Amino acid sequence: MKKKRNILSVLLLSVALLAAGCGSAETSGNNGDGQASATSDTSSSASSAAGSSMTREEGVFTFVSSGEFQPFSYYKDGQLTGFDVEIGMELAKRMGLKPNPVTAPFSGIITGIKEGRYDAAVASHTITEERLQQVDFSDPYYLSGGHLFTRPGEEITSLEDLRGKEVAVALGTVYEQLAREYTDNIKTYDSDVTALRALDQGKHDAVVTDIIVGDIAIQQGFKIKATGVKFTEDKQGIAVRKGNTELLNKINEALRQMHEDGTYQKLSEKYFNRDISK
Amino acid sequence: MPSFSHVVEEFIRTFPLFMKPLLLTFELTFASGVVGTVIGLLFALLKVSRIPLGPMLADLYITLIRGTPLIVQIFVLYFGFYKVVDLGQFWSASLALAVHSGAYIAEIFRGAIQSIDKGQMEAGLSLGMSPAQTMRRIILPQALKRSIPPLGNQFILLLKESSLAAFIAMEELFSMARRLSAETFDEMTFFLIVAVYYLVIVLFFTYLVKRLEQRLAKGDS
Repeated sequence: MKKKRNILSVLLLSVALLAAGCGSAETSGNNGDGQASATSDTSSSASSAAGSSMTREEGVFTFVSSGEFQPFSYYKDGQLTGFDVEIGMELAKRMGLKPNPVTAPFSGIITGIKEGRYDAAVASHTITEERLQQVDFSDPYYLSGGHLFTRPGEEITSLEDLRGKEVAVALGTVYEQLAREYTDNIKTYDSDVTALRALDQGKHDAVVTDIIVGDIAIQQGFKIKATGVKFTEDKQGIAVRKGNTELLNKINEALRQMHEDGTYQKLSEKYFNRDISK
Repeated sequence: MPSFSHVVEEFIRTFPLFMKPLLLTFELTFASGVVGTVIGLLFALLKVSRIPLGPMLADLYITLIRGTPLIVQIFVLYFGFYKVVDLGQFWSASLALAVHSGAYIAEIFRGAIQSIDKGQMEAGLSLGMSPAQTMRRIILPQALKRSIPPLGNQFILLLKESSLAAFIAMEELFSMARRLSAETFDEMTFFLIVAVYYLVIVLFFTYLVKRLEQRLAKGDS
């Protein structure tokens, strides 16, 4: 008995030490707030990025998306592509940086930005109050909205009908939050497409996801239908680490240029046959 | 990184939220443990049997399961088999876990059966019992006893592996930790908290297995 108690106290102690040791690393990553903004105004468009510490690796623009959000980010013939990814590539080009697209599960992206694992998230993040407390967002780069999808034969015509239904969503999305306002019976997946696939197989009653993503799934033969029930219009932004104003300004400037010279329009029409920033 | 006191505060705050997931983790582990043991025993017997193709079939099963990752098996059973049989969420997850651990349990049982002295089978046969009777009355009871420690180990693994069910929308412990992480952007806190839950259950379970071993050891001289 005595021996066992010893083991337990050693365990507890080590957990405590671990947590205490980790606590001291908290302060790093918060510097550079003020000075960055001062320099960014003077450097216009695609000037030299050399000597700048606005990206984690000098001269490289590491941007993240989920890779599971067709047609915004997905793999085609083993190659990461999609609207978000192409936007990221174009941004890098205009900022004079080497693009480095990477993927991560959606629910971990904001934290990755906070911890400096990626420079920016071009990942269809809806700009929300909660997220603004964690990261900074660029100007909206497209507009969208959550939409309620259900199975053929299911009669869901309003949000109120969701009560008592089982709703599947991708973890950490605004759609998850929206759905939780109407029902407690929420099932979470790692991606919107997986949630839609589960709906297609009749495992749940409804899915809340982006209207564009749901429509693509229907085109691909998923046995689901759009209910016509819309949530509020969302503004989607590119996330960067809080205080990285230099990068943020450059992104906004590059976005503005893309709109001006028609690159954005072309890209948007390639994927959606329309300008999704309007 | 979160401070120790912050983790403790959050642990207390979210304690009620973790109760249902905790129960589900237990249910998953229990259901798949029972089914997995039955599967394991069947395939262990098949492997030591003289039934035509029996040992080969057992080998095939064990090779397939041991050779593929559990998360893949879970997704195959959850999304792939639904047209054959729609098991529903709980049983897809449980069955995937059961089929998975069944392969390891089969090897545990086989090892235990083969560790029983050959002379015992011969003695049983010479007393006029059939091979099946000898297996059931003489060999298996001893083999099962020897399997207890590795079985306990396997159940601990199973308990931890049940966390993978989070990826097919089961709201068990790990899934709750992920949900709270995504909600609060305070990941590390909740991953530490959920680690504590698992650790406590494993410690408790280890204790139970030890007690059981001691009970069963009483008969030994």
